[in-house]
Amino acid sequence: MTLRFALPDVGEGLHEAEIVRWLVGPGDVVARDQPLVEILTDKAQVELPSPAAGTVRLVAIPEGTVVPVGTVLVEIDPAGTVGSPTVAAVPAGSARAEAGPVVPASPGRGVPAVAAGGVADGPRPKASPSTRRHAVHLGVDLRAVQGSGPGGRILRSDVDAAVSPAPAPTSSAASVSYDSAGQTGQPAPVAQAVPAPTSVGPGSVGSSAPRVAPLLGQHPSGTHPLRGIRRLTAAAMTQSWSTIPHITGMDEVDATALLDARSRLQRTLADRGDHEAAATLTPLVLMAAAVARTLRRFPLVNAAVSADGTAVTVYDEVNLGIAVATPDGLIVPVIRTADRLDLVALATAMSAVATAARARTIGADTLRGGTFTITNYGALGGRFATPLILPGQAGIMGFGAMRERPVVLDGTVVARRTLPVVFSADHRIIDGDLSVAFQEAVLAVVADPLTLLLGV
Amino acid sequence: MVVGEIPESTGVLVIGAGPGGYVAALRAAAAGKAVTLVERDAVGGTCLNVGCIPSKALIAAADRFHQADNGAAYGVLAEPQLDWMALQAYLRRSVAELTAGVNQLLSAARVNVLSGTARFVSPTRVAVEDAHGLRHLEFDDCILAAGSRPLELTAVAVDGARVVDSTGALFLQERPRSVTVIGGGYIGVELGTALAKLGVRVTIVERAGRILPELDAALASVVARRLAQLGVAVRTGRSADTVLDDGLQLDDGSVLEAERIVVAVGRVPNSDGLGLDHAGVRPRPDGRLDVGPDRRLARHLFAIGDLTDGPGLAHKATAEAEVAVAALCGEPAAFDPVVIPAVVFSDPEIATVGLTRQQAEDAGVASRSFRFPLAANARARLDGDAGGHCEMVVDDAGTVIGVHLVGPHVSELAGEAALAIEMAATVEELTAVIHPHPTVSESLPEAGWGAIGRALHVHRRRPGR
Repeated sequence: MTLRFALPDVGEGLHEAEIVRWLVGPGDVVARDQPLVEILTDKAQVELPSPAAGTVRLVAIPEGTVVPVGTVLVEIDPAGTVGSPTVAAVPAGSARAEAGPVVPASPGRGVPAVAAGGVADGPRPKASPSTRRHAVHLGVDLRAVQGSGPGGRILRSDVDAAVSPAPAPTSSAASVSYDSAGQTGQPAPVAQAVPAPTSVGPGSVGSSAPRVAPLLGQHPSGTHPLRGIRRLTAAAMTQSWSTIPHITGMDEVDATALLDARSRLQRTLADRGDHEAAATLTPLVLMAAAVARTLRRFPLVNAAVSADGTAVTVYDEVNLGIAVATPDGLIVPVIRTADRLDLVALATAMSAVATAARARTIGADTLRGGTFTITNYGALGGRFATPLILPGQAGIMGFGAMRERPVVLDGTVVARRTLPVVFSADHRIIDGDLSVAFQEAVLAVVADPLTLLLGV
Repeated sequence: MVVGEIPESTGVLVIGAGPGGYVAALRAAAAGKAVTLVERDAVGGTCLNVGCIPSKALIAAADRFHQADNGAAYGVLAEPQLDWMALQAYLRRSVAELTAGVNQLLSAARVNVLSGTARFVSPTRVAVEDAHGLRHLEFDDCILAAGSRPLELTAVAVDGARVVDSTGALFLQERPRSVTVIGGGYIGVELGTALAKLGVRVTIVERAGRILPELDAALASVVARRLAQLGVAVRTGRSADTVLDDGLQLDDGSVLEAERIVVAVGRVPNSDGLGLDHAGVRPRPDGRLDVGPDRRLARHLFAIGDLTDGPGLAHKATAEAEVAVAALCGEPAAFDPVVIPAVVFSDPEIATVGLTRQQAEDAGVASRSFRFPLAANARARLDGDAGGHCEMVVDDAGTVIGVHLVGPHVSELAGEAALAIEMAATVEELTAVIHPHPTVSESLPEAGWGAIGRALHVHRRRPGR
């Protein structure tokens, strides 16, 4: 049976994506989770991994095409599945006997009419016929899907969830995590995957976290007290706005090298079989690494003015805060000594804290001790912004949406994917020269991520 | 005479016009394909012409006669007469009406129906031979639905006169005094029961230790009791050895009275004679064809029905036809029923759907069950047929995984049982559905209640087995 792999619904509000680049072609043998295609949504560029091992039969959509969610992108003849793929692969004219018995005898044979199969395979997944057909269409193996219906029955929605996880991160789609807006509080799904079915199960972390998006901007009329995170946010932002004199610089950098590096690293990790690390290695991980390591070279940026405005504290550790939108509001979990983590460790840590943040299982410790913050507001769109510095810190760096934009290269205007970068600094201790120097240094790493090799 | 060197072409070729093939042809035509359907005998296949349909007609006639003759308990006194030729005409009329309906549908769908025998000459070409000669058909896709035929015994050769197969037993030209049926499976039991009700002295010989050996023993024993009441002699653990002038000698040397002998020992797939080697396909030694979940044999070749694994039942072939046509049209498709319900038109009827306790155990599924006696069901009692039961098997989570019924009208309940199991319904759901009173269908929630320890119309909870 041929699997047809359709563009998954990669998140709230996303209806289409551009097919940027095919990483495989017809006839290619692909491993499960091997990246098949790069797609570009209005939120991010994403690689879609193969849902199954097999042979690519058809690449249905040419590069550069924008297609709606649900469009079949590729057809794969799965390897090693029972029956037809192997059979179908046998040229009609060849003697099948030489191929041997490719189909195991049906367990139903010789057994009375009552059991149509599956008896010898043990309990089969519980699902209605329409759900099973749906699973066949999506190429989902029901044995790996956890049912949420009565008696563990697998519902159609369970199958959908297995193919296209909701924005709330699951273990395999943890790369969703950081592409959150600092300002607006909507988690922005980025890397979307067709997760390995094994990841869809009772253990999926955070899968029960409520989605933010449907509530975005919704509120009953009338006057209401600010509570919880909202109250804390209000207090912190008031303090920031009224006590910290902000200066915000803006620039843009060609992100081609960064995206390239990320793809290559991801493929290497996948080749090593470390699919989880591959899935968590988002472009934001590289940006975070660039910021954290650059901070080490500019200690005064990794600092804070005292509450009475009479002293400066320069931190000796780089503890990087990452703005994460949750259903309850914006929180900023902290990655300790982010400048000293290698990329895989950083990716894993970022994935873990964001998942915990959304699942409301994050500890208070993780929310304290930040020395500098980044926000990926561009995951939602937007080019430039003026983020507010968290009290107790001296700077915040934000990343706008990566899109193709005209760039002058060697005197010629060409289309390149660029990353807008903004940097708000506390002008009490950071002047324009330091602000620009720090920003330029981060941009240099983004432009040439090889410099990350210079040391962890 | 057409020499056939120049092939005609067709989009979809379907070989065999039984309940698998004709449905495949209709579905493919509805999908916009140019369809040719080749049938060597009669449209409708075994089921309509010599199987399900005429056998149910015979049973309907036998039941009318038998009830009229045994109505005293109901205050009905009658001495019915049997007009054998009229009965035979009714059988033929039943078949003719239904096959005419199928022909009408095929014609309305613009399916090109060819009468003849198909043989592959290449992977994409078939030669169809009829009385007038040979024609070649080049196809894009082909669905094999050639069905099966009665298995023959070397010791007891079918001659169409004294020794007949199931087909011959249906269309006997006169009522025999005595019949010995070789084979106590569902075909032998159905035929033997009907003939006994029509006044024939019937003996059933079964090689296994009991009749209906392929079914749950609890179901079969109810039917065995009734056969004894009807005067049917059952010889189990024996097989036929020699046909004698005045009877049939068994392997233990005993001789049974047998004016006619009916051989009903099983069926074999019609995978031979199709020239499948020219299509690059080789059947297994048992004659079945190995197909994938979408019923595909080779890139453009599909097989359904009795040619593939699973029970040789019309409704299974029909369901496979839907899958094969979907696959042929490029849709992902799989034949993956949880259950294929089986019904036996014995007396009383049997309906068996899903796993028995034993099968669940063999499959490693923890289960419990409850057997609700139809003696506690009003409708069954009014029909004077309260010896049966409804057994429900549920798994740990309370999901219904098996329903096994024996009793009046229970063949009509197989669909509900299959729906419940396919939908993975739980006992709580099934018992929450209001079943009409007074019907045998009430036995389903009754058995369900019992399976979760809350039996209603039974005093004492009894273990299922």
